[in-house]
Amino acid sequence: MAQTARPPETTTMASTNEEPKQPPPETPQSLWLRRAVIASFWAVVAFLGLPVWWRTTAIYRAELPLQDMMSWANAQVGTPVKAAFTPLTSTQECKLVFPLHIAVEAPLPSHDVHHLLEATQNALNDLNSFPAHQLRLAFAEPPPPANASQQVIVDGTGPAKEDDTAALSVRLIPVETGATPRSRLQPYSTNLDVYFSPNQIPLQSSTSSPLATYIAGELHQLYAQEQAQLANLISDASYRSRSASPDVAAQLQRQSARAFKYAPTYHLTFSLFTPTSTPSAWDIDAALRQYMRPILESFSGISNFTIDTQVQLYAGFSPSIRQPEYDDNAKAWTIYKEDVSGFINAAEWPLSPSIGQGPTINFALYVPDEGQAPLLVQGSRDNSWLIPQWGGVMILNPQSRDPTLTKEALVPAMQVFSTQLTSLLGLPQTPASLPLRISTLIRVHAASLIFSSSSTLGALAQVYQKMPTIPVPDSVAKSVDLSLAHLNQACESLREGRFQDALENARTANGEAEKAFFERSMVGQVYFPDEHKVAVYLPLLGPVAVPLVMAALKEVKAGIAALKGR
Amino acid sequence: MLSSLSFLLFSALTACAYASSDYHERLLLRPLPQDTLLASFNFRSNETSAAYEQQNFRLFPRSLGQILRYAHTKELHLRFSVGRWDAENWGQRPWYGAREGSNGVELWAWIEASSEDEAFSRWLTLVNNLSGLFCASLNFIDATKTIRPVISFDPEGDHTSTSNLHLLHGTLPHEVVCTENLTPFLKLLPCKGKAGVSSLLDGHKLFDAAFQSMAIDVRPVCETLGENCVIEMEQTVDMVLDIPRSKRPRDNPIPRPLPIEEIECDTSKSYNAPDTCYPLDRKMEPAWNLTEVFGKPLKGACPLTEAEGPESEALCINTVPERTIHANTTGQYTESLSASDTLRCYKLPTAAEFDLILPEQRLTTGLVRGQPHLYASRSINGHGQERGSVQAVIKNPSPTDAVEFAYLESLPWFMKPYLHTLRAHVSTSSEDPLKETYYRPAVDRVRGTHLELRLVIPPASTLTLTYDFEKAILRYTEYPPDANRGFDAPPAVIRILGPFQSTDRKGLYLRTTPLLLSLPTPDFSMPYNVIILTSTVMALGFGNIFNLVVRRFVGADEVPALGGLKGIILGKVQRIKARFGKA
Repeated sequence: MAQTARPPETTTMASTNEEPKQPPPETPQSLWLRRAVIASFWAVVAFLGLPVWWRTTAIYRAELPLQDMMSWANAQVGTPVKAAFTPLTSTQECKLVFPLHIAVEAPLPSHDVHHLLEATQNALNDLNSFPAHQLRLAFAEPPPPANASQQVIVDGTGPAKEDDTAALSVRLIPVETGATPRSRLQPYSTNLDVYFSPNQIPLQSSTSSPLATYIAGELHQLYAQEQAQLANLISDASYRSRSASPDVAAQLQRQSARAFKYAPTYHLTFSLFTPTSTPSAWDIDAALRQYMRPILESFSGISNFTIDTQVQLYAGFSPSIRQPEYDDNAKAWTIYKEDVSGFINAAEWPLSPSIGQGPTINFALYVPDEGQAPLLVQGSRDNSWLIPQWGGVMILNPQSRDPTLTKEALVPAMQVFSTQLTSLLGLPQTPASLPLRISTLIRVHAASLIFSSSSTLGALAQVYQKMPTIPVPDSVAKSVDLSLAHLNQACESLREGRFQDALENARTANGEAEKAFFERSMVGQVYFPDEHKVAVYLPLLGPVAVPLVMAALKEVKAGIAALKGR
Repeated sequence: MLSSLSFLLFSALTACAYASSDYHERLLLRPLPQDTLLASFNFRSNETSAAYEQQNFRLFPRSLGQILRYAHTKELHLRFSVGRWDAENWGQRPWYGAREGSNGVELWAWIEASSEDEAFSRWLTLVNNLSGLFCASLNFIDATKTIRPVISFDPEGDHTSTSNLHLLHGTLPHEVVCTENLTPFLKLLPCKGKAGVSSLLDGHKLFDAAFQSMAIDVRPVCETLGENCVIEMEQTVDMVLDIPRSKRPRDNPIPRPLPIEEIECDTSKSYNAPDTCYPLDRKMEPAWNLTEVFGKPLKGACPLTEAEGPESEALCINTVPERTIHANTTGQYTESLSASDTLRCYKLPTAAEFDLILPEQRLTTGLVRGQPHLYASRSINGHGQERGSVQAVIKNPSPTDAVEFAYLESLPWFMKPYLHTLRAHVSTSSEDPLKETYYRPAVDRVRGTHLELRLVIPPASTLTLTYDFEKAILRYTEYPPDANRGFDAPPAVIRILGPFQSTDRKGLYLRTTPLLLSLPTPDFSMPYNVIILTSTVMALGFGNIFNLVVRRFVGADEVPALGGLKGIILGKVQRIKARFGKA
């Protein structure tokens, strides 16, 4: 200021080449004072201003165990963990194994049985092409008589503890008549009865016997579908070429495309739709209790179910599809197979999902207008169809036009719906025994949950690394830790053959992983770039920074000049 | 002049409405003065509580039932209203005001919970889910719009234990009620507007009405306490239609004047001439029929209603006996008369259209309209952006009875009343009419004001209630997009406590109109201006002080030549000149 307010005569003096007057040399005291002032300004800016600014506008990112997460994700998709990664002690790589214990009961002397078991196990191992899935045979004592406790400790090699965890018991029953060996699988328990004639017991000297080969073949066939399913799952997860034949793979693909993703709770909604005002009531409570509850109870180890029902009058099917045509031969109205996909009248039918966690499975029973009855679906034997990952629909042509549908009238509908339910839940078609199929489902779900949660964790780790601007709250780190812990436990449970445990742990792990990944506060700031922050503060930072920088430069220059001049 | 001949008892209608059938519906039509028509739709469906608990929904809608169960709501009252009930002309309100809401959306519910916090979190669940179901912004009912009234509402249902029931009440006065709210409302009905009186409900006519109110009430009803309980859902639609306006065809809705020859002119006027005319009131009841007025035909009875008895009569018209009414249908119907022939009820034919035709007619008698128990109006006084005052005027028309009532105000937090300025003044006596006050002051951005008063108004007098308030200044982001329109303050709810009693447990209510509050509104580019201006001032100050501290001061004649900015610029210019000269 002082310099700019220069009187005009000074300039004229300077222009006339007269030697201008020099200011007196600065005292070192004032020189050092000025330097101290500038330095202290800079110190305040550097040590107070910048850290405060940095701290108040920084995004909080919790520490995540990235290595663990990546190694889980990589281990599951089959790429070997890089050597550069030194896996932490907590993560040993989880190799999915499914050891199934099969108890064999036989009214034979124990050495005979052991020999038979050995032979069968060898035969089984030869048949098995999928090493992760192992069938382990063990001899189970026949249920001892009440006072014969000494029998239990006869032999230390036969572990009797498998009784609870045995996936299947094979009962060898000697018979004299009929073709032998033959087998029968009991449909509502986990027992396989094998009938043999006593002369088929292998001799000590021979290493193989027809009976052992037969049992091994039966067991292998029993679990062939499950092995194919698990193999398919693993190959899906690792993008490896499929090991199964294309037919089987296509069938499994179709089956898994239909089924709902696994959830701990499913809501079932049964709806009665009719375009007129009758029937206006149905005896659904009794029908459900008789036909649906038992099947739901057998699934109770896997998921919980809630049921609700509704009656909707004046609810015709979608008007956008081709109207049914009258078929003179069948004396019935026919709706075409191509049109059934548009049958659901989404605009008018109140099929909103149920409130609460978990997906809703819809079952719609449609009773046609009297003028269009009977209404048949072309090419469908039971007048019903399944909508993948949504539910099932059935057209019911009741015998009478009573205002109430009785329980008896609902029987065909309940049978169709229960079949549809099992296939919507992903229950395999074989083997014939329901408990065996359900235990297969437990293993398949446990495996798929482990895959999906480890890939979710991997994705989260990638997001964390690739997007440095998103905030990561502590709750995410906590969820990730929980998820990893449960994954480890699930893996361990699988290895020990406790599949129910494994499923529960995998379920928790998956829930936590999803919670971490879909944390709401993480998405909020993604679109708030750093440029914004700078733009808002620029009107302050710019004008303040200029004099500071200029003063510092000037002083540095003067300092250098003074050094040179010395 | 019209002589008084007949009368109407709404309670006679409502009393018979509580029989045991599972589904009941009724439309009551009542011509009002000035060519208007009141249409009151009432639909009631019951579900046994056992079926409700097991989620086997038949007549009760599943979507609503699940929400109520999920939010542990035992009793629900939801209102969507538009317009003002003109009590001076139209008389007593339908249902004595018990099925009416304040402008916009009003919701109150009894929620079962062990603590207040739990009740509030369930309330939030409830409003969020209802918001999706009814396509309304109910999710904006948050803590600032929620109050817990003390004397204004009582449960209508039979509850086994009331100790852990919490009453919460919220309003959205700014909500625009329109067709998208009617569609889900109709979907909740068993006959879905495809049969029965609900087939007359049409969004175009309903939201064109001078006054309309849609209500949903869910409550448990028990024969004896805790036994044979049913969950009852009542859906009510009241609308006041302007008959000439509704009769306009939809493709040609612009009204056109009649040719002057067809208008009856007042020839006593001095300016009466062949081309100027003062039209005379024709004193004729207009001609109308259902199809014209509602824009849709009535498609017969809903088959779920009872086949016999007074419950089966789904359509009633309340007018003087001399009014000619023709029924037009191809099906079978019956007509019955009651209440001194002023109430004509029809049992509708099934699966055949039904129409009522009323020709133009000059009437010699008129209906006596029920007189309201109270008249109320409310307004904002004062000027400026800082303060204002509210004045509510409540009039008791009864020459004999003093009326006791509760007055409930739920004010937004940015309208801060000064309670010490609250004055209640009665025109005829100097006695203080204010008996009790419940007051919960507002907390900025956390909750609104809850003011509940118990007042007594002597016969044939006017009560004036005033209080001053201060307008808060909102934060930049708290303004709505249409900030200059103003902010709505919800209507006051007035409940009559005595001596009149309703015949059922619904209570007697009236509501004032909402208020439009204008708050100081900033220029919305202001924050950026402020940031820039403040930064500039701060930078200027900093620059000056910094220069003063670090500059060296020398004598004016001791300054080195060509120093400073001028020298630098001059040097630069010369260098550029030199370069160009070379080139």
